Parts: sequence; structure tokens; C-alpha cells
Amino acid sequence: MSRETASESRASDAALIDRLVQRDESALAVLYDRYAGVISSVVHRILRDNQAVEEILQDIFLQLWNAASRFDASRGSLPAWLVVIARNRAISRLRRHNPAAGDALLEGMAVSPFNLESSAARQQLVERVKASIENLPKEQRAAVELAFFEGLTHSEIAARTGDPLGTVKTRLRSALETLRRTLHSAAQSVNQRT
Amino acid sequence: MNGHPTRDEDFDLYALGALEGAEKQALESHVAFCLGCAQKLADARGRIAILALAAPPAKASAVVKEHLLQQIRAAREGGGAAPIEMKPQPPRPAALSRWTAILLPIAAALAIAALLLWNANRRLDSQLAALRASMQQEQQQLQSARDVASLITAQDTITVQLAPQPAMPHGAAHVMYNAKMGMLMYEGQIPPAPAAKSYQLWLVPASGNPISCGVFNPVGGQPDHWMTRLPKGIQPKTFAVTLEPSGGMPQPTGPKVLVGAPS
Repeated sequence: MSRETASESRASDAALIDRLVQRDESALAVLYDRYAGVISSVVHRILRDNQAVEEILQDIFLQLWNAASRFDASRGSLPAWLVVIARNRAISRLRRHNPAAGDALLEGMAVSPFNLESSAARQQLVERVKASIENLPKEQRAAVELAFFEGLTHSEIAARTGDPLGTVKTRLRSALETLRRTLHSAAQSVNQRT
Repeated sequence: MNGHPTRDEDFDLYALGALEGAEKQALESHVAFCLGCAQKLADARGRIAILALAAPPAKASAVVKEHLLQQIRAAREGGGAAPIEMKPQPPRPAALSRWTAILLPIAAALAIAALLLWNANRRLDSQLAALRASMQQEQQQLQSARDVASLITAQDTITVQLAPQPAMPHGAAHVMYNAKMGMLMYEGQIPPAPAAKSYQLWLVPASGNPISCGVFNPVGGQPDHWMTRLPKGIQPKTFAVTLEPSGGMPQPTGPKVLVGAPS
């Protein structure tokens, strides 16, 4: 993020994608500076392996370079799409799944109400998201973290925690309902300020 | 899942990866045909992705960035417009002993060969899985289209208009039903259900309890159309849409909104 020049840091993701399509490698460098940190964080949290983080980063940004013309920035959010792919790749490795489980064809478009193009917005959102998760009741927070960072399904979470399946389902539903509300309010607040 | 998922959290649960088994398959097969729900799923993916920001911060590798840009420049200088494939990053400098100086090039050559093979294998696996997923989706779409065609063209399929009931939301709908095939198609337009409520379609047989044909929540007054399978051979006395608690009930409890009987 700190490496982006002033004018480049103001370039929108859509403009940078257009430049990628024109094969402008400097646009890839800006997008890397903008989003590689978020991707590294989530992949490292899942795998705790620096080598794996580097491989996934390289793989994802090469995919972005190779397939930029197929990404429609007006229909989806680039950082959300990158995170979805990175998380799926990392969870596939963690669970020794076929890497194809993380293929973009299966992941589809992701739309986000958050504008993550400025580093200020990203920083504000980091605080808001952490607070939203930390404010969940302990069991709900644990269920969300097991699902998001370890890729566990309802019944796998129940097996891991020893809780009844119905309880796990209720906890996750309640947690997601709360997160949806608090993150919606965070999006409005952050988007207004930036 | 015959109609739209009844709760918005279903999309979040799917994006989170928590749904499994029949629940997951039902949502996947519905989303394959429903643009409104595909959009809801894209929204859910974006919402869930933002949870990544809760991960402890990790610094992005400058080495990876440099390696990426080098690969791109090298491909450009080589005049290639083809997609660039992932290559292992260059080895980091280290002190070499005499033996390592001899063995390192051999080991590196073997490692590169192994990585190239692994990468090719990985790419093929990935393509194969994507093709399988695509084929499976196309087969589902084809089967669904066949079902619709066979229901519509069968001579013993009946069409029943469902009429709005007094003091109820005003809508229009009809069902096409074939008892021998055990297939039913609903098409209609009805205002969205009130908060914490869902619509539920029932087949009321000549004898016995009503049979649930599906729970649905129309989105923003958009037309709804979906198909479901029922036990074969049931002769209907009436079809009715009732207003039920969100998610539906085993037997009708709420007021009738639309009703129609075979002529």
C-alpha cells in the first residue's frame, strides 16, 4: 500500500483492471500493493505457512493477470473475489482437497458493499470487522472462525466442539444475522467517510 | 428446496462453506436457474469475504511481487501473448559447501522437473474438475428442461388457475400438474410475504391430508416459477397457497391466499 504513488493510489480497481487488459504490468503492481496484504493475512491465518502464502499469492495474481479481461468490475468486487479465491485455495490445501475446489469457475462473482480501494477505508474496516466478530458471543465467534478459517461445515463444527448439530446451526445463523447487521452499518459509515 | 431459499442467511451459510449435503445441493441447483438468487449469493460472497479483515495482519511478500513482474516481462520479451504459467520462485542465495555445489544443480534440476510435472498435473486436475462441474450443471439444466417439456406436452397434464381470496394479497398464479408423472410446476406473481412469513403451496387430495408442494418467498413482486416432484398417482381436489410462518409448516395453519380446483 505504501508503495502506491499518489495518483496510482487514487486509481479505481475498474481503471486498473482496464490497464491489466491492456497488459500494463504497473497496474498489477498497484493491485498487488493494494490487496496482497489482505490476502496474505487470511491465507497465513488459515495455513500458518509463509511458503504456502507466497505460492498462493503468486498463483492468484498470475490468474488475475491472465484472466483480467474476464473480470467485470461493474458486476463484482475485485478484493472480495480475490479473497474468495485465496480462502478457497488455502482451505483446499489445509484439508488436502483437490486444488480445483478453489477454481474460480466454481467460485463465481462476489459483490461487496465495501469500497476497499483506499488504504484508509481498509484500515477503518479492519477495526470494524474485528470489533463485530469480537462482540459476538464466544460460542458464535468460535463457530464463525471454524467455518471461515478452517472451512468446517455444520456437522464438522459439531464434531469438533462436541455440541449438538442443531445448536451449531442456530449459533452460525444467529452470528451471521448479527454480522450482516453490524457490517451493513459499518459499510455505510466507512463509505460516507471515504 | 422447491422455491427460493426462505432465509437470507442460507446464502451466507453457503458462502461460508457451512452448508452441506441436501441443503447445499438444493441451494446450488436453485441458484443455477434463478438470477435473483445468484445475485443474492454474489452479495453473500462479498459479505463473507470481508471477514478476512479479521485475520491478524501479515506483510505481503515483496519477493513474490518482484518474481511476478519478472515473469511478465520475460514473457513479453519472448513475444508470448499466451497465459503465463506459475513458476517456482528463484532459489534464495545461501553459502555453498563443496558437495552442495555439486549436488545443488542436480537437485535443482530434479526439483524443477518435479515442480513442472506437479504444476502440469495440478493444472490438468483443475481443468478436469472445472469441466466436471460445468458438465454436471449442464446436465441438471438439461434434465430440468426435459422435465418441463414432458410436463407441458403430456396429454394428461392439468392446468389449474389459482384465484386470489378476499382480503388477501392480490396475485395471480397457476399450477400445471401431472399425477401420473408426479410433477408439478408453479408459475405466478404475488406480492412479497409479510415479515417472518412465507407462502406455501398445497395439494389437497381427494382424501387425506394436504401435501406441501413448496415454500416460497417472492422477491420484490417478481414472477415466480419453479417445479417440484411429488409422490405419483395423487389426484388433487384443490390446490391452495397459504400464508405460513417463515420456512413453512408440516400442515397448513394460515389463511388461504390463492385457491383453485381442477375443472
